[in-house]
Amino acid sequence: MDKKLAVYICTGCGIGEALDVEALAKVATGEYKVPVCRTHPFLCGAEGVAMIKQDMEAEGVNALVIAACSMRVNYDVFNFEGAVVERVNLREQGIWSHPANDEDTQMLAEDSLRMGIVKARHMALPEPFQVEDLSRTVLVVGGGLAGLTAALDAARAGYKTVLVEKSEVLGGWVSRLYRQVGVNPPYSELEETDIARRVKEVEENPLITVYKGAQIEKISGAPGMFEATINHGGTQVTERVGAIVLATGAVAYDATKLAHLGFGQYANVITGEMLEEMAAKGSITRPSDGGPVNSVAFILCAGSRDKEHLPYCSTICCTESLKQALYIKEKNPEAKVYIFYKDMRAAGNYEFLYQRVQKEGVLFFRGEVVSIEEDEGKNLFVEFDDVLVGEKIRTEAVDLVVLATGMVPTTAIGERMTIKAETDEKGAQAEAPAEEIIRSNILNLEYRQGPEVPTLKYGFADSHFICFPYETRRTGIYAAGSVRAPMDIPTTIVDATGAALKAIQCIELTAKGSAVHPRVWDLSYPEFFMQRCTQCKRCTVECPFGAINEDEKANPLPNPTRCRRCGTCMGACPERIISFKNYSVPMIGDMVKAIEVPEEEEEKPRIVVFACENDAYPALDMAGLNRLTLSPWIRVIPVRCLGSLNLIWIADALSKGIDGILLLGCKHGEDYQCHFIKGSELASYRLSKISETLNRLALESDRVRMEQVSIMDYDRIPKIIEDFASRLEEIGPNPYKGF
Amino acid sequence: MESKEISLEMREYLISAGAQTLDWCMQCGLCSALCPWRQVPGHISESFYIRRMQRLGQLGLEGFDAEEVLFACTTCGMCQVNCPRQVKIIENVRSMRSTTVEAGFVPGTLRSVIGSLHANGNPWSGPREKRMDWQKGLDVPAFTPETEYFLFVCCTSCYDPRSQRIARSVVEVLKRAGVSFGVIGTEESCCGETVRKIGDEELFKKLAESNIELFRSRGVRKILTTSPHCLYTFKYEYPELGGEFEVMHYTQLLAELAREGRLAFDGAAGRRVAYHDPCYLGRHNGVFEAPRLLLQSLPGVELVELSRSRERSLCCAGGGGRLWAEVPRGERFGELRVLDAEDKGADTLVTACPYCIIMLEADCLALEKNEKLKVMEISELLIQSLRE
Repeated sequence: MDKKLAVYICTGCGIGEALDVEALAKVATGEYKVPVCRTHPFLCGAEGVAMIKQDMEAEGVNALVIAACSMRVNYDVFNFEGAVVERVNLREQGIWSHPANDEDTQMLAEDSLRMGIVKARHMALPEPFQVEDLSRTVLVVGGGLAGLTAALDAARAGYKTVLVEKSEVLGGWVSRLYRQVGVNPPYSELEETDIARRVKEVEENPLITVYKGAQIEKISGAPGMFEATINHGGTQVTERVGAIVLATGAVAYDATKLAHLGFGQYANVITGEMLEEMAAKGSITRPSDGGPVNSVAFILCAGSRDKEHLPYCSTICCTESLKQALYIKEKNPEAKVYIFYKDMRAAGNYEFLYQRVQKEGVLFFRGEVVSIEEDEGKNLFVEFDDVLVGEKIRTEAVDLVVLATGMVPTTAIGERMTIKAETDEKGAQAEAPAEEIIRSNILNLEYRQGPEVPTLKYGFADSHFICFPYETRRTGIYAAGSVRAPMDIPTTIVDATGAALKAIQCIELTAKGSAVHPRVWDLSYPEFFMQRCTQCKRCTVECPFGAINEDEKANPLPNPTRCRRCGTCMGACPERIISFKNYSVPMIGDMVKAIEVPEEEEEKPRIVVFACENDAYPALDMAGLNRLTLSPWIRVIPVRCLGSLNLIWIADALSKGIDGILLLGCKHGEDYQCHFIKGSELASYRLSKISETLNRLALESDRVRMEQVSIMDYDRIPKIIEDFASRLEEIGPNPYKGF
Repeated sequence: MESKEISLEMREYLISAGAQTLDWCMQCGLCSALCPWRQVPGHISESFYIRRMQRLGQLGLEGFDAEEVLFACTTCGMCQVNCPRQVKIIENVRSMRSTTVEAGFVPGTLRSVIGSLHANGNPWSGPREKRMDWQKGLDVPAFTPETEYFLFVCCTSCYDPRSQRIARSVVEVLKRAGVSFGVIGTEESCCGETVRKIGDEELFKKLAESNIELFRSRGVRKILTTSPHCLYTFKYEYPELGGEFEVMHYTQLLAELAREGRLAFDGAAGRRVAYHDPCYLGRHNGVFEAPRLLLQSLPGVELVELSRSRERSLCCAGGGGRLWAEVPRGERFGELRVLDAEDKGADTLVTACPYCIIMLEADCLALEKNEKLKVMEISELLIQSLRE
């Protein structure tokens, strides 16, 4: 693209009063010979925008450097079709967080403009990636409540849907329930499930193709162009689909592992699932002799919230057991029902159900089961350490003990494989953080990183729990229902709708060539300069989303529609051959180099802050919005994710005489907050390798620091920077200054 | 340690004896936390936890029947009005007590009370024929079918010399206000409120039925009580036995008259008065404003609020049969009330219940604060300013 640069400096919002705008303009016109440079008192107003448009038409400018407010505001105003736009933040991170009419503030503004100009010089307009023969069909895997609901919702929105169910019938877990707990007020009555209606609607819907008794053999491709091979009763069918909803649900925890609670040992110890089956058949009896059941003990958290079994809470077992207690009480109000719990968690509106069950005379016990014993008549006795009495207590004889077992997601069942980087050709071990994929035989993805979605420690699909719960770490694959997290019926229905909408969104964004969440406006995608690739595999291993496959010679095979555009591959590549049209290693490297580094005796140190655009950069803006004063020595460079940080930038900065480098990114590790899952973790891992580089340059490793900040941490930012600056002061100036 | 056996039979017995809301309890413990016993140190405070007592009851486990646990509750109602599950905690306590009382086990201090109620129709071992001795020298109208209100004087104010002053001043104020009222006489029996709380359901029934029959036979429609305890039982418990009357505490009627301008007070000597809400007038009957209105209508009286007042008022410790309990000094709730009144700079601690008067006066004396702080029933203060 032939570019003609223009710089626009807004003097509104106090910028004109706080800075020497004339001197600032000279940076553009003098140092960089920018052909068009204008100031305007109200650039985001209609007149300012018209002026820019006028220049585009009359002067043919097409690379615009807007030196005004933060890129996080007015992005819709400063959006000019056919032009590259680079924003220089003079307001939030300029005059709002630094003193007015101050030499250092002026130097900061001038450096910010230099960085903007050099970046704009390098940037090109993204050309959206276009999928050939894009499919708008949604594939739903799993025909239970979540899958049926997702399929119906996708079809209602006008999208063709393919539903694959492993068993011969649709309906899943919910279809085996005798009753469901009330989803309507007063929430304390038992209701029939509506699963049969959902099954019927799915089977009658012309937009939905149902494969029952079917299994997915493999899925290749990427969003907009997945090829799913389905084994349907021995024959293979191929469906081309645009996005996938994973709704395979959960199974009950294996009660045979609960021998300490008498399962498998005593005939009258059963699971909640078995009781449900008896209730559905119409008669609840003692398995030992088929006799009537007049007394029941429910053991909640049977193998749940237990380090030896399922360490987590499955959220529904309390409510389901309350429901089953009513099965017993409704048949025989005189029946003795005991419920033993760790904590009664009747989530949602089910406190009403809990109250009703209490009023029906069911006895509740909080504490731990000590033992379950059986007498010669196969009657059972529960011994219990009751925290509410503070003593051990023992029940009268009961006919039945029911274990409320927790949920195991179907994604957790299978051989666990750890994905690790292999030794690269130089023999160095690239020990990027390992991650786990479980061969659960559900999706069978033909992905270099493994056949299923990456999981968290309990086997649930990894996602950004707070911001993007449905998005798995495989773009275009959205988890819904209890395969994602333990959940009850109403939550599952909402979840399925959410995931179906996400799948549709993915298809439509892919059709436009745009990234999906969180960079939905982004049309750029990584390009590989393959001639210089050394087949080191770092990009294919480190991509948090499995976007890059490999050929047999280990050459990376990128799938742009799987890509979330975080740039982690760009940060990983030791040969620096991966770049975006508007974001690349040399682009950021040149920004670093554009910073003017004063001589040592001027005592004006320089700190480059690489700030994650998702949380850290907004936090810096908020610091300005709150008029917190920031150190005058910082020069902020926004990055898409700290995962895109290429170590060469640090070398560039240090060899130029920059005194310190501060990386501001999201929380990583357990409960990570990184919008790209692994980016900040990878940055911290890469940083651990930096000492080698620093040693080579005879520099102290303390010159580089990484801090985790969230968007709410704006008030901590001045101190984080000050602390780093004072450490740099102790170390002394960078000896490379002036070289 | 041996584990305790749950007794579903005992549990069912308690429920049938009146603990119908026992199962509603989810054991959150708010009751124990709000219990006035938490405000004092000592053995009872350390052994009596109402939450645990309910729990033992739910499971029919032994332990709730230990005397210092079973008879510790003053039935002040602080837990009950705040219970998130609306458990009728006091009824549960009552039914638990009835399991032992009906079997003949009564704490020593309460034996004479129950004996006297059987024999004399009052808990104070006073002969029935002396029930009306409090009237000496006072012209108290007799109740006739033409009388509007039947004035029921609490047994305590019939027999206890200190408390008799309350009955007398109530009568005087009512007369000055021109209220049509009268008393029946020695045939009246104790209302039975306290003995029911103690757990003697049979005796309560006997007393209540005899009163209902007497009141009915005399044509009683409206009752004024001097004690909030009588008020409670006439209002909420007699209807169960067929005794439907319109019942008011005397302060309610006087407040109404004062509001209508039919009762005016002259200046009383300048006093700084703290008002103690009796549990049975306040929390149990919802009467918070009437006594305050009366006090505020007294010229020269400055009303100050105790740090715990109205719904949060701290019990004097005299309810639920605790009036006859021996409690070591330093463990009495009333002491906290006296100290609180002193702290607020009050020279008079006023209340509206004969039990509260007995408790607070004793505690004031024990703390040697009686020189600085006078404990008065509200009618006593009213009559002073009417006389002047």
